Amino acid sequence: MDLTFFLFLSSGLFLGWSLGANDASNIFGTAVGTKMVKFKTAATIAAIFIIIGAVHAGSGASQTLGELGSINTLPGAFMSALAAALTIFWIVRSSIPTSTSQAIVGAIIGWNFFASKPTDLSLVTQIVSTWVFCPILSGTISVFLYWSIKKILRKSRMHLIRQDCYTRIGLILAGAFGAYALGANNIANVMGVFVPSSPLKEANLPWGFHLSSTQVLFLIGGIAIGVGVITYSQKIMNTVGNNLMKMSPLIAWVVVVSQSLVLFLFASQGLRNILLSYNLPALPLVPVSSSQAVIGAVMGIGLAKGGHSLNWTLIGKIIVSWISTPIIAAIICYISLFFLQNVFGQTVYLP
Amino acid sequence: MFHINISLFSQTKALENKIDLFHDKLLDAAMTFKKAVRVYLAEQRSTEYRQLSKQIKQIEHDADNLRRDIENNLYSQNLIPDLRADVLHLVENLDKVINKFDEVSYKFYIERPEITSEYHMRINELCDLSAECAENMAKASRAFFRDLSSVRDYSQKVYFIEHESDLSAGHLREAIFDSDLPLANKLQLSDFINDIADIADIAEDFIDELLIFTIKRDI
Repeated sequence: MDLTFFLFLSSGLFLGWSLGANDASNIFGTAVGTKMVKFKTAATIAAIFIIIGAVHAGSGASQTLGELGSINTLPGAFMSALAAALTIFWIVRSSIPTSTSQAIVGAIIGWNFFASKPTDLSLVTQIVSTWVFCPILSGTISVFLYWSIKKILRKSRMHLIRQDCYTRIGLILAGAFGAYALGANNIANVMGVFVPSSPLKEANLPWGFHLSSTQVLFLIGGIAIGVGVITYSQKIMNTVGNNLMKMSPLIAWVVVVSQSLVLFLFASQGLRNILLSYNLPALPLVPVSSSQAVIGAVMGIGLAKGGHSLNWTLIGKIIVSWISTPIIAAIICYISLFFLQNVFGQTVYLP
Repeated sequence: MFHINISLFSQTKALENKIDLFHDKLLDAAMTFKKAVRVYLAEQRSTEYRQLSKQIKQIEHDADNLRRDIENNLYSQNLIPDLRADVLHLVENLDKVINKFDEVSYKFYIERPEITSEYHMRINELCDLSAECAENMAKASRAFFRDLSSVRDYSQKVYFIEHESDLSAGHLREAIFDSDLPLANKLQLSDFINDIADIADIAEDFIDELLIFTIKRDI
């Protein structure tokens, strides 16, 4: 392994950094924006639990991406991650709530086309259906949580000050869980494409911890996300807390828990195995968008509160992102791979 | 972590107690005021009245200290960030009513108005209504902190009693100005009636705001 590996990995690390900078606000945005939790505390907890989630439970969603397309050279993986990052950068500028999950899937399909590898259409259908299902599920969970919390508060007659104290603790715990789920679900977006071509070896850590080569790769990706959280998420957290949607800390807790549960459901191999062992339907392990899960949860609460209409403009934008993000990422990836292969003479795929 | 949690819970409990105690002070002030006016009407500026007036002054002083403590705790511990401004506003308005009880009872002590026995019953009635308004205001405010569903019940009572107090104050003023009392006495008594009826008016304004804050507090 030499420096070239890290050079090629840089696009994935950049993608991880931007994911950390953006998506940490979905977990701790309101808590920090409303000053319920200090940014330092939020960023430290988020960074630690994202890394734990990525290393401990990141393999499930990553395997699904591997089945979609096994990018077998480092330059190919580099360009796929870069194409996803560029797509995100471009689409975000038009204020469409997009996600790295959709971009990376598009980039992998772009690589498949370029390398003339077959794309499993049933898998694509399964992945796309999870994108549609993700905000709906998040909204359903948030409605259930909202009603339950409302009922509990009404029955318990808890003092406002004590409620504030529990909410504060709840926001930290939900944030930690959310960070774990984000790391577990979204590490596949950042490092998934590098798994087949990674030259990293297994590693033994102190206190008897053993990491497989994939887990070492995920640890590096998790650190990149963590750095993104610590260095660049404060501004976005303050924006989410103050401008984007005015939420009370308790509603924020409901939104974070709903979003985290959805991300966890789509990432946990353990939970999937348990469900399957009881012959229950299990969700596919697919990286999903935390931003779209948040939007789903907020809309769910809006409906539960008696909102008379859904925000169709926002729903329209999400649908546009489901279609446009993967297509744009696939096109950018295809063109970039062409240049990388023919102009820079890199091997972007092995037959 | 365990230590932090213990300290957080104990601070929370302490603040809850202070808020409860603050509401108790308002109830104490209302009840002492009712008693003080009865004593004044029966004995004028007697030692007992002096004691009761001092008692109200002490309640007002304690309530001020509690209010400052509550405000400091809310800010220094950065509690209820989304509702802090509302709660501070409520606490300050509750304090205003306690101050008014103190102000009126002291005014009786200083000005020593002469009130003939024919007005005693009506003045007692007006004082009872104003004090009852303040008591229900305290209960509604306490419910805002613990039991939102009861806020509306107590608020309705305040609205009803405030209306009664307005009627009572009107009848009393009419009776006083229809009487043969010297104009100076009439004006002095009218001023006292205004002061007593003001307590109910402040309670009504408080409830208007409280109902808005309740909508905000409901998740």
